[in-house]
Amino acid sequence: MLRRLLPAPRIALLLAIGLTACGDDPAKKPPADAEDSGEPSARPPVPEVAPGAPALRRLTRTQYENALEDTFLVDLYVPTAFEPDNEVEGLLSVGASTTSVSAYGVELYEQSAQTVADQVLADLTARTSFLSCTPSGASDAACAGEALGLAARKLWRRPVTEDEQARLGALAAAVGAESGDFDEGLRTGLVAILQSPHFLYRIENGAGEGGLRPLSPYELASRLSFLLWNSIPDEALLAKAADGSLAEDEVLEAEARRMLDDARARRGLRNLFDEVFHLYTLPTLSKDPLAFANASPELGPSAREETLLGIERLVLDEDGDFKDLFTTQRAFVDRRLAALYNVAAATPDGFGEVILPEAGGRRGLFGQASFLMLQAHANSTSATRRGKFVRTTVLCQEIPAPPANVDTSIPEADAESPTLRERLETHLSDPYCASCHRLTDPIGLGFENFDGIGKWRPTENDAVIDPSGDLDGTSFTNAWDLAQVISDNPNIEPCFARHVYRYGTGRLNVDGEDELLAWLADGFTRSGHSFRELLVDTVLSPGFRNVGEMQ
Amino acid sequence: MSTDDRWKQRLSWLFPQTPAPAARRVVRSPALGPCAPAPLQASRRGVLRGMLAGTAVTVSLPWLELFAGRTARAESTYPLRFGTWMWGNGVRPEQWRPVGEGSGAAWSLSEELAPLAAVKAKLAVISGMAVKVPNYIPHWSGAGGLLTGLDAVGDDEDWTVAAPTIDQVVAAEIGGSTIFRSIEAGIDSNEIFSFTGPNARNPGETDPFTLYERIFGATFREPGAGGLVDPRLGFRRSALDFVMDDVRALQTQLGPTDRQRLEAHLEGVRTLEQRLARLQEDPPDLESCERPDEPAVEYPDVEGRLQITERAEAMHDVLAMALACDQTRVFAFQLSRPVANLMFPGAEDGHHNLTHDEPTPQPGVHNITVQIMRELAYFLEKLDSIPEGEGTLLDHCAILAASEHGEARTHAITDMPVVIAGGANGRLATDLHYRSYTEENVGKAVLSLLRATGVLATSWGDGDTYTADGLAALEV
Repeated sequence: MLRRLLPAPRIALLLAIGLTACGDDPAKKPPADAEDSGEPSARPPVPEVAPGAPALRRLTRTQYENALEDTFLVDLYVPTAFEPDNEVEGLLSVGASTTSVSAYGVELYEQSAQTVADQVLADLTARTSFLSCTPSGASDAACAGEALGLAARKLWRRPVTEDEQARLGALAAAVGAESGDFDEGLRTGLVAILQSPHFLYRIENGAGEGGLRPLSPYELASRLSFLLWNSIPDEALLAKAADGSLAEDEVLEAEARRMLDDARARRGLRNLFDEVFHLYTLPTLSKDPLAFANASPELGPSAREETLLGIERLVLDEDGDFKDLFTTQRAFVDRRLAALYNVAAATPDGFGEVILPEAGGRRGLFGQASFLMLQAHANSTSATRRGKFVRTTVLCQEIPAPPANVDTSIPEADAESPTLRERLETHLSDPYCASCHRLTDPIGLGFENFDGIGKWRPTENDAVIDPSGDLDGTSFTNAWDLAQVISDNPNIEPCFARHVYRYGTGRLNVDGEDELLAWLADGFTRSGHSFRELLVDTVLSPGFRNVGEMQ
Repeated sequence: MSTDDRWKQRLSWLFPQTPAPAARRVVRSPALGPCAPAPLQASRRGVLRGMLAGTAVTVSLPWLELFAGRTARAESTYPLRFGTWMWGNGVRPEQWRPVGEGSGAAWSLSEELAPLAAVKAKLAVISGMAVKVPNYIPHWSGAGGLLTGLDAVGDDEDWTVAAPTIDQVVAAEIGGSTIFRSIEAGIDSNEIFSFTGPNARNPGETDPFTLYERIFGATFREPGAGGLVDPRLGFRRSALDFVMDDVRALQTQLGPTDRQRLEAHLEGVRTLEQRLARLQEDPPDLESCERPDEPAVEYPDVEGRLQITERAEAMHDVLAMALACDQTRVFAFQLSRPVANLMFPGAEDGHHNLTHDEPTPQPGVHNITVQIMRELAYFLEKLDSIPEGEGTLLDHCAILAASEHGEARTHAITDMPVVIAGGANGRLATDLHYRSYTEENVGKAVLSLLRATGVLATSWGDGDTYTADGLAALEV
């Protein structure tokens, strides 16, 4: 039961045992590492794993765009209307393995394919990226097949069979003959490639029998490149798949490290945290300008950039201790955020590095506008949402949703209850509400000095805000302090190991992966919280390179 | 082939033949409280368990029973149109409920329904009925129970429906002969509550101009204009044939779950292929059809707020003409999604927040409900302004306007607000307020509605939601 509040349980399990989880006190959980002799022990061998079943993974919108860019080497316009991505337990990458495509989605894919094909044929760089032969006439099936085969190889992330190339050539030649235009045939072929399930879905079938079946080299190459680049493999990686060497530990590790040093890793890392922290919702987040003077449509995008830039620096440029994310005084701000944070901007344009003063009370991820804005209401803060984010996203603990048929209204501010702390009193005094809210609200109240868009405020309704509290037995006096308490929580390592694992494998972890996840978390700790090493470790682990039995 | 068989074939991809080895059992606690023990659910009817797109679901067969040996029904000269018009976060039931009961002068509109005065004679308002699901997932249980007849499956953050939504059930029956089988559209979110099956949502169009372009763009032909002559239509169909071959070949390499997911994809490709073929034929010939005015290209937010009315009216203009031109006969429109936190004009907070945070009697929530009814009134009046024969387009519609909750403050799924607009070619009673004092199953009204559209259903729902009886007051 107690273990269920530690990382990894799925909410269905929690519910299956009757939702009494809220009655448990996470403070009583056993320490993550019971025996602590001081001396670092040797790393245990990688445990056995029984990974989950393979599933088709639909390309997310960003993967679709990145794949086109990396294939045709130019920026292409992709229509904005698109089959929406679906989120499962907070991750679009996991949702991509469960959804199907609607009839409207098919229609949108077709429109997009046509728009893209037109642009590709009209752009010399894009055109020559796959077309090198000179057609002998409008219906030259061999030349069309060769060109389309090359494009399909990149977009489908695997060699194209002779039969496939012949079919593509025949399709193009038939249209070329009817229209008298070679390009029209080529265009039709591209449109077909871009709508093919081989492009739109990532196929990770694995091979062989049993519960631990290796991915094919091309499947593994794709899994690797989408994890690290959020896009298709490059030629170098495909070559390692072609000669089969990617299955070797050294080669796989070298490829992973090479890819992390590539500029495309920035795109990949950004996407990972966009998903984990839900930053992609910031550009469309609406805030009431009457409640917040600093609110503007540009604030959300700025806040997203601040968080992503900071993570990029920490992980890719410096390979620093990932836990610094929560406590660092360094911030990357533009003028808009500098004004919000009441610091001097480092540069008149774009983002520059500033050091946040201790007197400002703001530091780390939980002092960033992205977190403070997203986990709040349109015109007020939300201690519950902020606390829930810490519990579920940063510590991977489950908080059941509020039950139906309860009165959830919060009293209005008055002289008796000027600050949110008093107004949330019922959440914590009614034992029925308190069972869950005492897990969230005390943490969230620690951030009450920041309003619903992240501006510092010492008071609410003229009453001084009390930001003190306690997280599972460790007390804190304010948000500055709380950042350290969260950062010291032993659930951080397993939680981020789980995020990476789920993101990389595109599914929720299963029981047979518990030991591996614990091993990865331990490795993360041993590396001094190097997120780079966590990525490499995950890639090399058998859970990433294999799939379970097909279902 | 019997109707039952046709149905099973049509929806076959919903019902995998292979039972899942490790179906995830979803057990929920009742609405008593978060710490109460959870009872196991048992259905009194036969069930089929399976893995659908990664989520174990229990689909009751039949959740929808149909008459066998269906024969064609005499149609009015005008096709019947069906749609759902949904808004999020319920109403203030005391202020929404009409005054008096019965027909004509016996009832009058309430404060919240007042905007519908001009079309009162063409409405049936139903109050007091309940969605008979356990209400485990706030908002989604209500929406799922109402629109699919079965509870939603999963939990707050990871749920799906257990069966197709009513718009798709009807579209499978009457949507086959138009350019668009159905149209899904909304204002605030493309997450329309329209599903062809579990994990198979139909995303909606949220931009009025894009919706206009889609229906009335280059491929639209006015009555009498003849088929579209464009060689590319043929080329596009050739590409789709290539894609269908790829999908079928790939399906053979996959497990049953993924095969089903690809089957849904394949169905979409087939639908598109048929549409392209249909564009080459003569367009429908309806007297009131004309290309509507182009909506604005953009509706930028004003002071951080969506231009709800402007967007809704533009959408409704396009949608009304899409029906008048017989481009589609089925739609799912969503003014706001369940849990929508839209900032309405004049509101001090987002809609969803207000339903929970505003002290009763919640004047802010009340004002929002009135605004929502105003948007509904605009649409219905628009439909009523389009002549068709002796009557209007609205007379040939059956529109279910509803929300996922009665009172959203408590996540109630009793006292559900239901408006049925249009007489369905004379098959539904109008100018009526039916009030239930016994929390009757709202599925009865849904079943009547289904029957009015020509879907020969003998029952709807399963377990507590099951009904073989329609709502007599509604049926003519």
